[in-house]
Amino acid sequence: MAVAHEGGAFDLARNRAAGLSSSLAHFLRRYPLGAAGAAIVLAIVLMALLADWITIFDPTATDAHASLARPGGAHPLGADFMGRDMWSRIAFGARISLAVGVGATSLGCIIGVSIGLLSGYFGGWLDLVAQRFMDMLQALPLLVLALVMSAALGPSLENVILAISIPLVPTVARVIRSNTLMLREMPFVEAARAVGMNEISIALRHVLPNTLAPLIVLATAQLGSAILVEAALSFLGLGIPEPYPSWGRMLSESAAEYVRTAPWLVIYPGLAISLAVFGTNLLGDALRDIFDPRLRL
Amino acid sequence: MPLPGVLLKGEERMQSRLSTVSAATLLAVLVAGTPAAAQKQSGTLKYYHRDNPPTTSIHEEATVSTVNPFMAVFNNLVLFDQGKPVNSLETIVPDLAESWTWSADRKRLTFKLRQGIKWHDGKSFTSKDVGCTFDLLLGKAKEGLRLNPRQVWYHNVMNVRLDGDFEVTFELKEPQPSFLALLASGYTPIYPCHVSPREMRSRPIGTGPFKFVEFRRNEVIRLARNENYWKQGRPYLDAIEVRIIPSRSTRILAFVSGEFDMTYDTDVPIPLIKDVESQAPKAICQLRPTGVYVNLLVNQEAAPFNDARLRHAAALAIDRKSFDDILGQGKLGLSGAMQPLPEGAWGMPEEMLRSLPGYGADVEKNAADARAIMQGLGYGPDKLLKLKVSTRDIAIYRDPAVILIDQLKKIYIDAELDVVDTTIWHRKVTRGDYAIGLNLTGLAVDDPDVNFVENYTCSSERNYNKYCSPEVERLIALQSREEDHEKRKAIVWQIERKLAEDVARPVIHFQRAATCWYPWVKGLVLHQNSIYNGARFEDVWLDR
Amino acid sequence: MATYLIRRLLLMVLTLFGISVLIFVLLRIVPGNIADILFDAAGMVSAAEKHKLEAELGLDKPIVVQYVDWIGGLARGDFGYTYVSERPALEEILPRIPVTAKLAALAVMFSVLLGVPLGVVSAVRQNTALDYVLRVASLSGLSLPSFWLGLLILMAFVQYAGWIPIYTEKPARLWDELALLSIPAAAAGLRSSALVMRLTRSSMLEVLRQDYVRTARAKGASPAAVNYDHALRNAMLPIITIIGIEAAFLVGGLIVTETVFNIPGVARFLVEAIRWRDYPVVQNLVMFIAIIVVSVNFLVDMAYAVLDPRIRYEE
Repeated sequence: MAVAHEGGAFDLARNRAAGLSSSLAHFLRRYPLGAAGAAIVLAIVLMALLADWITIFDPTATDAHASLARPGGAHPLGADFMGRDMWSRIAFGARISLAVGVGATSLGCIIGVSIGLLSGYFGGWLDLVAQRFMDMLQALPLLVLALVMSAALGPSLENVILAISIPLVPTVARVIRSNTLMLREMPFVEAARAVGMNEISIALRHVLPNTLAPLIVLATAQLGSAILVEAALSFLGLGIPEPYPSWGRMLSESAAEYVRTAPWLVIYPGLAISLAVFGTNLLGDALRDIFDPRLRL
Repeated sequence: MPLPGVLLKGEERMQSRLSTVSAATLLAVLVAGTPAAAQKQSGTLKYYHRDNPPTTSIHEEATVSTVNPFMAVFNNLVLFDQGKPVNSLETIVPDLAESWTWSADRKRLTFKLRQGIKWHDGKSFTSKDVGCTFDLLLGKAKEGLRLNPRQVWYHNVMNVRLDGDFEVTFELKEPQPSFLALLASGYTPIYPCHVSPREMRSRPIGTGPFKFVEFRRNEVIRLARNENYWKQGRPYLDAIEVRIIPSRSTRILAFVSGEFDMTYDTDVPIPLIKDVESQAPKAICQLRPTGVYVNLLVNQEAAPFNDARLRHAAALAIDRKSFDDILGQGKLGLSGAMQPLPEGAWGMPEEMLRSLPGYGADVEKNAADARAIMQGLGYGPDKLLKLKVSTRDIAIYRDPAVILIDQLKKIYIDAELDVVDTTIWHRKVTRGDYAIGLNLTGLAVDDPDVNFVENYTCSSERNYNKYCSPEVERLIALQSREEDHEKRKAIVWQIERKLAEDVARPVIHFQRAATCWYPWVKGLVLHQNSIYNGARFEDVWLDR
Repeated sequence: MATYLIRRLLLMVLTLFGISVLIFVLLRIVPGNIADILFDAAGMVSAAEKHKLEAELGLDKPIVVQYVDWIGGLARGDFGYTYVSERPALEEILPRIPVTAKLAALAVMFSVLLGVPLGVVSAVRQNTALDYVLRVASLSGLSLPSFWLGLLILMAFVQYAGWIPIYTEKPARLWDELALLSIPAAAAGLRSSALVMRLTRSSMLEVLRQDYVRTARAKGASPAAVNYDHALRNAMLPIITIIGIEAAFLVGGLIVTETVFNIPGVARFLVEAIRWRDYPVVQNLVMFIAIIVVSVNFLVDMAYAVLDPRIRYEE
């Protein structure tokens, strides 16, 4: 039964991916931008994982004598006004930004996929209600909704992840839903029904895997948004609280005050955020090109 | 500053002093040959504000955000001299009251009011307005203040008696020499009878040098000259325009690029002074105490700090020098609950401060002693005490909290920062739902009758951690009655010692910050021991 | 056509109704209300006094009653009183709308003027070096936090031009005001322009692949005519969608831009109102934003329906 072209986009992609993984050079040549993106993301992940080993100072340790130290020497990227080492804060901040980005995106995707899948597969009034709810969430701009949710839940790492994930849900739900609608009519679903599988099993074991391709593409795009929204929330004072060294919070008002005495306080965290989002976007574009050229953006 | 030729009447002691001053001024003027009236009668003073006053009603607020822009709209009965840098009982000058006398038993204070003064809407000012103002403050008015934060200031007032249209007598329960200081504060303007408190919250009417023009939230506050101001020749300015710029980075950039004549009072933190001075070389910056002190709310009614030994250990762990180095570049110094020397009139000398628990210069020894106490309580490097340090989610609160947590690590306390939104902070404090809170307290007047009464008496609303000691209460009442300044200081220092020993509300330090302005702003005298009493602006003029 | 229209309208109303409930509930979950904030500003903690104030403001009524009061008021045209300045909420909201509208319009204009041509060029020169450069540039634009960009722009102006392009006073002439707003509009619009560029590129690519373009070429029309005449006109449809998507995308950028550049607009006011728990203002403003976004989407859908008959029967 392992016919090459049965089973839709996922199998196609799986074959392609199998082919690619065995020739990395091929990948690098065909998708140079994607490779660059992957490299950036990998570098940031490594920085986050190895933070303990690649930094000297504790990111929360204050030191009066190092207050606003210029970049160089013991503090390669300088220090903030409490003497906390910027390089440490950026390295450890990678953990936070990734945690928030990945956490919020994952949560948003899990919820969105559940809603989209059920809504698209079963249809009926479930679909109607879910769609209206998604419309409602989507009518509010991302930052506004995240703002209100963050204010509602209070500043903590978990709450920020939740606050950012909710606005991501409608987009995911919509894409999954339209994909599900299309897949629902496919012959292999009919076949599965004929064999006697129940609806839930069909939904989970046949339809869901085939929606993963657009989902991965969407998720990488959302990851960038999540990181940016977290930065904006922190800038406005409603994001990750102390003492977590989040990049966004480093860019908040208190850093901006010193923007002319100590521009490195503003430049490096901003660069870090931009680079992280840039990397995920490049990677996301390449993944989309691989999995489904029709979705080309 | 009194103009030559205009003799202001005052109490006997006041009068002789003033006439000496006036004569001296006249002489100085004649000798110097510079006409005193070089002040220009024109111009709009532009400065910025950092956030929105909740309302325009000074009596209903406890934040400098409201006092600073709106003090110029009003007059008080008496006022701290706007031209003298240090507030004290000696610098209180007449305002709406021409003169005052104490009764023999020092329990009655009678004011003779000026005549011919008009409110901004044309109605006449009489003693009834003073009566109405104090009905509001004492909680006796029919339509009262929505919020009355300083009700506790007047716990000693039995009655306010009006004798005719231009005489008012305050009848006190006990003698209180500092009572005048309460009336002289920027927080004690006189309100009109004929305007409701609700109106005063959005469109205040006063008798002061400037009329309220408009307040657009998040944008601008505008005041215009009161053409019928009862002080001849004042104010010099045509108008005052205060732009509201919540973003700190933006507003300092704006001052430096010349958009404003001066910064908001004490808006420039110590680390930024050099930057402002180098980017705006013409600007003059003055560093001074802000009258705000960083303190710890220690919750004595819940674990773990209901244990006095633990409190003592925590007090020993505080390294004030480190706080000073990081937040104040070493310029802040030591203090008790009262503002320290040299600007504060009640500050303790250094040797006395050093003898208080936790203030010793040997930080290592203090920490070692604290560790010994902790070990005695069962804590050690393997058994850490976990607790939360709560504070608001604003930089000036967070930063000291972060430093505190670092310091508590030395004595086996694993503290976590619990940063909350302002509203949640408020509820936490009300319910006592915290272990240690890091707090900022502002002092309207450098006087124990304000500081101690507001923050350390058992029944005061502002005594957030509900510290209550009958002995301290007794001492506070005692010093309030004491006429002799030296004797009073001695009692005040006794109270300070007791507060430090009880670890009531440990004081970290008094903050300092700078105000900057360009040289064409003249006549600006900043009070060294308060930021709340000097914003009348009637002597300020622009030389351009 | 008429049934489609009516059905869409009904759905729109239903969505708005849902949003009103959502925002109302969210705000009430937020811990703390205006009484807490006012009391905190006054340094007071008395619980009894606070309850008195809450009763005065109607905050102690059951939630359903408060909701009905609000909606009922809206129907009558009564948008409620702000708690903070005790004035009609409209008096605070309406004067702030024009400057935000100008900023938003300038930002959209900037993003379209920059994004569309670049997107077309990128599509037409697909897979050339220029295409890559433009794609990387657009991705960078999308990756920059807009407030960081704004802050850097402010710094640069103060450092090199000696003046600060913040909004302090409303300039007398419209032209001056628009000139002043163009700098923050560029900061806010840069991200949108990147998005517009990408979407334009993709829709152009779609269209360029279509059969009728090949047919036109086969018929002998010059490449230029094919590109800018047939292709672009057919690509305009998705571009209208893009502008619709952008409306929502832009509001977030407006909030931070208004904060950094000190613009007294409605977006910054929203943040302030949330901080103050000023329910009437937040509720009404959010409904206002929602109505705009929903209406824009509705109009875009209508444009689609008119221009592309296939869509009508999809619902």
